[in-house]
Amino acid sequence: MKRHSNNFIEHSLIGTLDFLKESLFAEEFALKKGFLQLLDPRIKVLTFLLLIIQAVLIKNILILFYLYALCLLLAAISRINLGFFLKRTWVFIPLFSLVIAIPALFSIFSPGEALVTFKLLSIKFVITQQGLSGAALFVMRVITCVSFAVLMSITTKHFELLKVLRIFKVPQVFVMIAGMCYRYVYLFIGIIENTYLAIKSRTGTRIHYKRGQQIVAWNIAYLWSRSYCLNEQVYQAMLSRGYTGEPEVLNDFRARIKDWLWLFCVLGICAFLFYLSRR
Amino acid sequence: MHIPDGYLGPATCGAFYAVMLPIWTAASKIVKKTLKAKQVPMLAIGAAFSFVIMMFNVPIPGGSTGHAVGGVLVAILLGPWAACIAITVALVVQALLFGDGGITAIGANCFNMAFVLPFVGYYLYKAISFNAPIDSNRRVIAAGVAGYVALNMAALFTGIEFGLQPLLHHTATGQALYCPYGLNVAVAAMAGEHLLIFGWVEAIVTALVVKYLQKHSPELLEEKGGL
Repeated sequence: MKRHSNNFIEHSLIGTLDFLKESLFAEEFALKKGFLQLLDPRIKVLTFLLLIIQAVLIKNILILFYLYALCLLLAAISRINLGFFLKRTWVFIPLFSLVIAIPALFSIFSPGEALVTFKLLSIKFVITQQGLSGAALFVMRVITCVSFAVLMSITTKHFELLKVLRIFKVPQVFVMIAGMCYRYVYLFIGIIENTYLAIKSRTGTRIHYKRGQQIVAWNIAYLWSRSYCLNEQVYQAMLSRGYTGEPEVLNDFRARIKDWLWLFCVLGICAFLFYLSRR
Repeated sequence: MHIPDGYLGPATCGAFYAVMLPIWTAASKIVKKTLKAKQVPMLAIGAAFSFVIMMFNVPIPGGSTGHAVGGVLVAILLGPWAACIAITVALVVQALLFGDGGITAIGANCFNMAFVLPFVGYYLYKAISFNAPIDSNRRVIAAGVAGYVALNMAALFTGIEFGLQPLLHHTATGQALYCPYGLNVAVAAMAGEHLLIFGWVEAIVTALVVKYLQKHSPELLEEKGGL
């Protein structure tokens, strides 16, 4: 372990670059003319929420597997690169879940019917039927939910996705703040990236972690005071665009026959899966 | 600390949405009453700030890095109710647009990070720094303590939520249906890493940011009238 290191600069830079790269990819997929991209965003979000809730409710791994296969099929007919999609959905949350599910295989955490028994360093380990089924169901559920959530976000323009919140009766002010927040995130990430690049170019030697912590804190404080100054300018810009104190979110979505058909199709799938899981 | 979809059962997810609904309504009413129209962009800025604060990697001894959540800092800067709205918006944007944190778990995530974290942190900060001048060292210490305690409280609640799953949702043979670890493991795991590592990162970042603001922009640390 190194006592002096600059890797917090590298990590922050990699984080911001990954974020921007991922957003670019997502925007690129959202603009394609695939099946999901052409659906009304309101119907799409509603149906995806139904599918995610269905995935949370299902207690049978085989039925969850069917649901996951449906998700991959939807990704394929929406012209999403499956390699990208699998990488995007498996990396981190499901892989992390897979790792944390491993101890749950063993009798110490999941007592039950012994399936496999082995000795390691003269300690007896027992993998139980209950542990294996529970861990497999857990990971399958997480990957199915994450895949549907990611598929929804990469096949919908982000601004439309936030506007859709209106159909769930989310107050206009929240929807407006979410839209503005989304813009600010990119502005702030740009600031962070530039600041860290500047720090990196000026630090030839390794920085002690205490000094590093001060640099980070200074940057956070600076970002906040810079943002605070923005407030007045943004408000003036809002006034010049007709803001009267009551936010208005334009509703220019239009549902067509195809959208309704998709909604009924998803309702049918959910009803069928529900029936299968209760059988 | 973002709980993904699939970790919590439907009853827990539903219960936390039900718990958060009156909190969001109250926050919305209080902020609308207290916030001037010209300060509306501040909520969006606060939301974006809570979103990106996690991108600042903080060096920790041993050459590794961690990141702060920043909930207490946002509460000190905006007030607890405004922070509740700002963090909620950030969590919704993260879940919907970037798949970070589950959609079904938004209620639980908001309870931990947009309610417990800013409220515990803010009131602890206020109690310790009671009547202290803006440039006082007591405020720096108060910010650090508040950051550490509030993050650990939020982690404790997250651990309890995870740990309750095998009790609430299991098959007749005892197979766990959601998060497979009970309270003894989940709470110990969540509390351990936050007590030993992430709590300190949160404390250091919150305290140092308050220290820098005292020096360069003390007006930003003035009371927000219970907002």
